[in-house]
Amino acid sequence: MTATTRSAKPAGRTFGQWLKSRDGQKVLVMIAFMIIPLALLFTFTYLPFAEMFGFSFYDMKYIGTRKFVGMKNYIKVFQRDDCFGALKLSLYYMAGSVVQLVLALYLATILSFKVKGGSIFKGFMFFPFLVNGIAIGFIFKFFYTRGFVFDTVLQWCGFQLDNLPYWLRDKRINNISLVATSVWRYFGQNMVLFIGAIMSVDSELYEAAMLDGANKFQQFKYIIMPSIKTIITLNVILSITGSLSAFEPPYVITDGANGTGTYFVVMNEIAHTQQKVGLASAMAIVLLLIIFAATILQKLFFKYVFKNAEDEDLNAAAKRDKKLAKLAARKAGR
Amino acid sequence: MKLKKVLALGMAAMMTLSMVGCGSDGTADAPAADTTQDQAPAADDSADDAAAADSTEAEEPAADDSAEAPADDAAAGGVPGYLDITLGEDYTDLTATIKFLHCRTDREEDGTIADLVAKFNETYPNITVETEGVTDYAEDALLRLSTGDWGDIMLIPAIDTKELSTYFQPLGDLDAMSEQLNFVNAWSYDNVCYGIPMWGNAQGVVYNKAVFEAAGITDLPKTPDEFIADLQLIKDNTDAIPLYTNYAAGWTMGAWDAYMGVVAEGDDTFMNQKFAHTAEPFKDKGDGTGAYALYKILYDAVANGLIEDDYTTTDWEGCKGMINRGEIGTMVLGSWAFSQMVEAGDHGDDIGYMPFPMTVGGTQYVAAGGDYNYGINVNASDDNKTAALVFVKWLVEESGWNVSEGTYATSKNGENPTMYSAFDGCTMLSDLPAIAGEEDLLGEINAESELSFNSGGDAKVQRIVEAAATGSESYDDIMADWTAAWNDAQESLGIEVTY
Repeated sequence: MTATTRSAKPAGRTFGQWLKSRDGQKVLVMIAFMIIPLALLFTFTYLPFAEMFGFSFYDMKYIGTRKFVGMKNYIKVFQRDDCFGALKLSLYYMAGSVVQLVLALYLATILSFKVKGGSIFKGFMFFPFLVNGIAIGFIFKFFYTRGFVFDTVLQWCGFQLDNLPYWLRDKRINNISLVATSVWRYFGQNMVLFIGAIMSVDSELYEAAMLDGANKFQQFKYIIMPSIKTIITLNVILSITGSLSAFEPPYVITDGANGTGTYFVVMNEIAHTQQKVGLASAMAIVLLLIIFAATILQKLFFKYVFKNAEDEDLNAAAKRDKKLAKLAARKAGR
Repeated sequence: MKLKKVLALGMAAMMTLSMVGCGSDGTADAPAADTTQDQAPAADDSADDAAAADSTEAEEPAADDSAEAPADDAAAGGVPGYLDITLGEDYTDLTATIKFLHCRTDREEDGTIADLVAKFNETYPNITVETEGVTDYAEDALLRLSTGDWGDIMLIPAIDTKELSTYFQPLGDLDAMSEQLNFVNAWSYDNVCYGIPMWGNAQGVVYNKAVFEAAGITDLPKTPDEFIADLQLIKDNTDAIPLYTNYAAGWTMGAWDAYMGVVAEGDDTFMNQKFAHTAEPFKDKGDGTGAYALYKILYDAVANGLIEDDYTTTDWEGCKGMINRGEIGTMVLGSWAFSQMVEAGDHGDDIGYMPFPMTVGGTQYVAAGGDYNYGINVNASDDNKTAALVFVKWLVEESGWNVSEGTYATSKNGENPTMYSAFDGCTMLSDLPAIAGEEDLLGEINAESELSFNSGGDAKVQRIVEAAATGSESYDDIMADWTAAWNDAQESLGIEVTY
């Protein structure tokens, strides 16, 4: 923006002259480049959102008259059991995302060291992310069908069909089955992001650590973890947000029936089957606020976990020194 | 440099302009939709003065304001009414290109629709018909309808009847058309008809005759108790699944709603006239009739293990082959499903269709009603409207499509398929339309109570299966819950409770 301030120009230059000057041209080019993405962003993100925000104050269907009802829709969202009851299911998905991230981080660490056939493993594990979510839904529908793929594989392993649960029918485990599909789909993507970050760690650090006698776990704890904390934070935030808005697995595999209707599925049902567009819009806004809250909480949490983000390296080094000193002291004491 | 500058500026200007365009479009739509509400379509006379229609005017401006269009057009007499067209004589030289939006993707794929169009073109060579099958029709059609960009003929999706004139061409006087056609009252408003049913469906039960024979069932069941007993026989004597719920597909569960009015109550005024005013529609009548007894069949079947083992992974496409091979005893589906089950394998002869096992006052009632209705775009040009109407009339009266689908003919002189022999002796009724002024009442109370009878309320029927399978709720609790939701909706909508 210095261009504009500097072009608060020597007096006397007309607008036309300024436009032809180097400064003017700079501004013009900037506007010309920015206007397209900004226009797209506005038209396809902010405008529809504003419309939806408006809808949330009306009692309306897709077609027909609208009636302004003020905050009534929001009050209903908080009164209805099914709206917030559905959020409880998000706990399953959150637990799933923890498993997913730990698994991804573990595999990423292993694969970032030299492993035979590492690329092939990476490829296989990343592959599910490339498959369309709806297709994955159909795959798993058959996967979990009684006596089909999963049961057959388990029978090879010596299980009896009679002892196996009904993966989608049994309400105690059907949400876990659904979460498993989402873990299967996304952990590869998380892993690739982690590997990318781990690759950027200076390899001299490992060498130095090795010379100092650090084992792999210590390398992970003191070198890798601190270096990729930004990516870890990002992945956690994305996963938690994703688990609040889980939609595809329950929608495609079980149609939200049998106690698997997540917040999004309930919202879809209300908007499209019951045609209560205003109420569904209010639900969407409430979910947005919840996601905001969750994100801010996580930000605070990570601030606490990775204290002093800026001079973390110094800090870590100091800590390391202290620990080494303690170790040395203990050894000497013995 | 100059050129680039001009280009960049031009681009910027274009983007800004297009944005402005978007904004104003969006705001202009809403009020337009509002104003239509009060417009009663003054189109009663459309049938009469359409005689002047032969002089089809060339290209009326296509997208005139939707709010006023229907009344004006009908009065202007640019387009004939349904009854004014004599097939094979009128309009054989009409040239037009029309587009038909429909839900039968299966018939689009197997070429049935292309064959129909080809046959149509033998008589009307200059009318080009483009067709598009939409998979998730019920939802997509509504969205397409609100954009206005969908072609000339569509199967009318679930809209409020007072919206009809905003989107669809009035086709003629309801009384006059009812004399010649079955089931035409579904999409009418103020005695004007806006939709012609593709064909009619009777509501019964698809069953496998071979399975019934192997189970030792000689007479078809006539009451819920007999039906459950027969299902038990199937379970004991054969390997077939007595009743396949198709729980996972969802809409197949909502199909149970179709038996509510005529079949369960024996009353063709129940569904559209009395239901919304009934205080306790889900009360146990104690004689095996009514909505209570209807859904109780499902609950009992599930509770007694007379359904498939794992209902959450049922497969709609797969079930067709299964009943054909005799792996399924019965499925509760409308008659439209019959031909699909017959075609699904080598044992089509085994498939039978029977009336729903419920007897009200000594009579078995069968509900028959129109399937999707053809509706014609009110904003199309006059030529296109006329061509569309000719095509619709031909499909309904001369194509013979309903026979190959195993469904009732819309035309009263039409040919019917032979599968309906089991229905001899039953009383066939079609739900009467709502009382004038209450056309939207059922839709509103359906949405408000979120039970959505006959309009996508699958979840409530799925709940019965879940409750019966896991024992989480008793059947009476569910019915009490429905009654409460129904009464709350009546209260919040201010509906008078009279029954």
